[in-house]
Amino acid sequence: MPREHLLKIGVSGVRGVVGEFLTPALALHFAQAFGTYVGRGRVVAGRDTRTSGPMLQHAVQCGLLAAGCDVVDVGILPTPTIQIYVEHIRARGGIGLTASHNPPEYNALKLFNKEGQFFNHYERNELIDLYHQSDFAQATNAEIGQVTRDEGTAKGVHIDRVLAKVDVERIRRRRFRVALDAVNGAGSVMTPGFLVDSLGCRMDAISIDPTKVFPRIAEPRPDTLGDLAALVRKTGAEVGFAQDPDADRLAIVDEQGRVLDNDDVLALAVLRALAVVPGDVVVNLTTSAAIDDIALGFGRRVYRTPVGEANVVETMQAVKAAIGGEGSAGGVIFPAVQLCRDSFTAMAFLLDLMAETGKTVSQLVTALPQYVRKSGKVAFEHGRLGGLMQALEEGFPEAEADRTDGLKLIWADRWLHVRASNTEPLLRLAVEAKTEGAAEKLYQTAWGLLAA
Amino acid sequence: MRGDSGLRISHVGLRGIVGRGLTAGHILDFAAAFGTFLEPGRPVVVGRDPRASGRMVWEGVVSALMACGHEVIDLGVVSTPVVQHALQKLDAAGGIAISASHNAAEWNALRFLGPRGTYLSTAEAGELLDIYHLRKFRFLEWDELGELRFDGGALDRYIDDLAAVFDLPGLRGFRVVVDCCNGTSALILRRMIDRYGLDFVLINERVEGVQFAHEPTTSARMVELQLGPLMKPLSAHAGFLFDVDSDRVAMADEQGRGVSEEMMLPLLADHQLSRGPGKIVITNLSSSALLEEVAGKHGGRVLRVPVGRQAAMDALSAHRPEQIAVAGEGTGAVMMPQFRFIYDGIASMLAVLTMLRERGRPLGALLSEYPQYSILKGEVRLESPRVPELLVDLLESYPDGKIDRSDGLRVSWPDRWFHVRVSHTEPIIRVICEQRGAPPQELFDSLMDKARSYS
Repeated sequence: MPREHLLKIGVSGVRGVVGEFLTPALALHFAQAFGTYVGRGRVVAGRDTRTSGPMLQHAVQCGLLAAGCDVVDVGILPTPTIQIYVEHIRARGGIGLTASHNPPEYNALKLFNKEGQFFNHYERNELIDLYHQSDFAQATNAEIGQVTRDEGTAKGVHIDRVLAKVDVERIRRRRFRVALDAVNGAGSVMTPGFLVDSLGCRMDAISIDPTKVFPRIAEPRPDTLGDLAALVRKTGAEVGFAQDPDADRLAIVDEQGRVLDNDDVLALAVLRALAVVPGDVVVNLTTSAAIDDIALGFGRRVYRTPVGEANVVETMQAVKAAIGGEGSAGGVIFPAVQLCRDSFTAMAFLLDLMAETGKTVSQLVTALPQYVRKSGKVAFEHGRLGGLMQALEEGFPEAEADRTDGLKLIWADRWLHVRASNTEPLLRLAVEAKTEGAAEKLYQTAWGLLAA
Repeated sequence: MRGDSGLRISHVGLRGIVGRGLTAGHILDFAAAFGTFLEPGRPVVVGRDPRASGRMVWEGVVSALMACGHEVIDLGVVSTPVVQHALQKLDAAGGIAISASHNAAEWNALRFLGPRGTYLSTAEAGELLDIYHLRKFRFLEWDELGELRFDGGALDRYIDDLAAVFDLPGLRGFRVVVDCCNGTSALILRRMIDRYGLDFVLINERVEGVQFAHEPTTSARMVELQLGPLMKPLSAHAGFLFDVDSDRVAMADEQGRGVSEEMMLPLLADHQLSRGPGKIVITNLSSSALLEEVAGKHGGRVLRVPVGRQAAMDALSAHRPEQIAVAGEGTGAVMMPQFRFIYDGIASMLAVLTMLRERGRPLGALLSEYPQYSILKGEVRLESPRVPELLVDLLESYPDGKIDRSDGLRVSWPDRWFHVRVSHTEPIIRVICEQRGAPPQELFDSLMDKARSYS
């Protein structure tokens, strides 16, 4: 029987299926451990639009108050907006209740430090130890803090930071016709205002009711965005934007209703970012080599990290990167706004690029370095992983091997990457090459070696 | 008891010192047990007193109830009687009042209420405790969770109902000084003053979460200290002092003298029995024998039960409401049938004022018409295993009296009685002894000596 990960308590926080698995008691204790770790002071609490959000937020607020923290309740907000607000008000930290792109029965606690960023690897281990020790700070009546509500400020702070990095007037003059699918998520409370009021777009939108359940699979992928593609075609929109429930990820639909490859979304953002700020680029091992080509054009370096937002962010911070992200996940991280995945920055960058060049989305994509990518996954038994990778490496003795996250084999014009998923008992394989034929050949050869 | 952190988990609910014995985890688990215990489908009402820790407790309670699929109706900062009152109006499955009542500020507690706003019966409370101890809670799935809504109208509806029973405009002639002890009575009384133009003078009116003006104890001594000096200068007819959640009340007379908390129940028994002669007064074994005398005057009778709210609730549920005149304790906590038998200090105050109006006398003058009873109370630290020996010894030492062994030992004679029992909350035995007329000093001293000889 395949193991289902109904609850996962680990260094990235707590994630699980609400009900028997992710209980309010668990959320409370984790929040109290968090409050103990960051110390007395203000902690921001917010959430996406999941039905379990209010229940879990009350448990989190209970735990934070019990640890002696004051709580700033920001209600429903995109995750990047919560992160920016933590830093803006100089809070001790923040907790976002969101399972990001996971289905509606899931929820999770995302924990942020005083800069509004993920804790580093060592801090996360300390926090999880504190949770297991259950030796929490216990505030007495005289030490219990207060809960204040602030649902308005954060949106303005986030939008202002994004607008400062693009030519707003140039975008507004174009009065772009755009389509939006916010999956009834946290983007619903902010994205329409951002596109229409801040960027002067003419917008047609679906799924912008934060009181309703997700109408599609929450992850914005080509196979889940049929309604948005139809809306683009029907309204003649120049671009379509799709967010995930906490609006950190963005997918893009071009003017012909085709969903862009996530690597191309990141590549377009990198193209724009490197033109406006100094610094290098950080992406994960599975991200397209197109990023290397673009960086080379600006004379910048590309750093590669293991898969996972936290890994990318950690390296970005260390090298003071200009931009970063994970191609396959649809995440654009632009530290000049905030060191986290941010769909708003990605939208503004694309519109700015369109305004500057006068090109359509499909023309911009065509102008990117062209690669063909293929990926797949297969269930595997944990004990066999080492042998599989060994076979793969021996099958391609001429390639350069990188073992920082699974195995990546690199040639001058192509690469393959195989790794175990962090969240599911699956082996993921990704390949990239210059042509369809070369990609297909590499993909089939690799599967052959893995299946042997 | 070594290392006592003040945590008490019992049939009455959960209470303790916040951050010491009582943690957020206890609160959430107990509220989840209650959410599991209640039948699904109807809302649950929640209110809290102004203690700072109340917000933390409230967050945990709301989360647990939502997780169990209950719609939560939040009344905000209100008295416990207002929560109990709202329960019936809102057709709720039950309620939780977050309040440590007359305990000091650092305490808090969860008080669980059944669908009619009454306290849980012994059987219900036992079931709730079992669920808590098993920790098998009914947490529902993501699309079955409860929602939270705020109801700011409970206070006004409560006052409407008080006004339907008491002639509130008729009380305009009284000048009354009230010490609100920074609690929820301030909110109720201020609204009542605004609505009916009453001449109530409120002190310690600011609703406060951390620093109460004084310990929220409703004793005669506290009343004398707080209200004594104000009564004559303000020409007040009566004075009242409430605990933080307004379920208990104590009185001062027009001379500034504190009235013993023992007098509240006889006074209200007299008031209630004069309107419904022949009914029953339910009280515990430790309260004044003046009750028998008052009840006898109206052809009523007194039913004495073990100490503790639970025994009183069980006795109440064994009778039809119209058979009961009043129920209560010597602590000043009184339940009246007009208010569905809940401890409500505001209702007690209004009943006393109504009585003063009907009899045309100030409080001190009215009290002087009752025969004098003198009560002496003491306590001795005693290891639990030695209690039975002491009780048998006492039983053999006083063979001539009428014996009641339902809660420790009570022995009564025509003009005096004593009651020796084990405290529910502390490792002590309590000695209470009362006599018509002068204090029964000799009897009290010999009881205390005997008790100490076992400690």
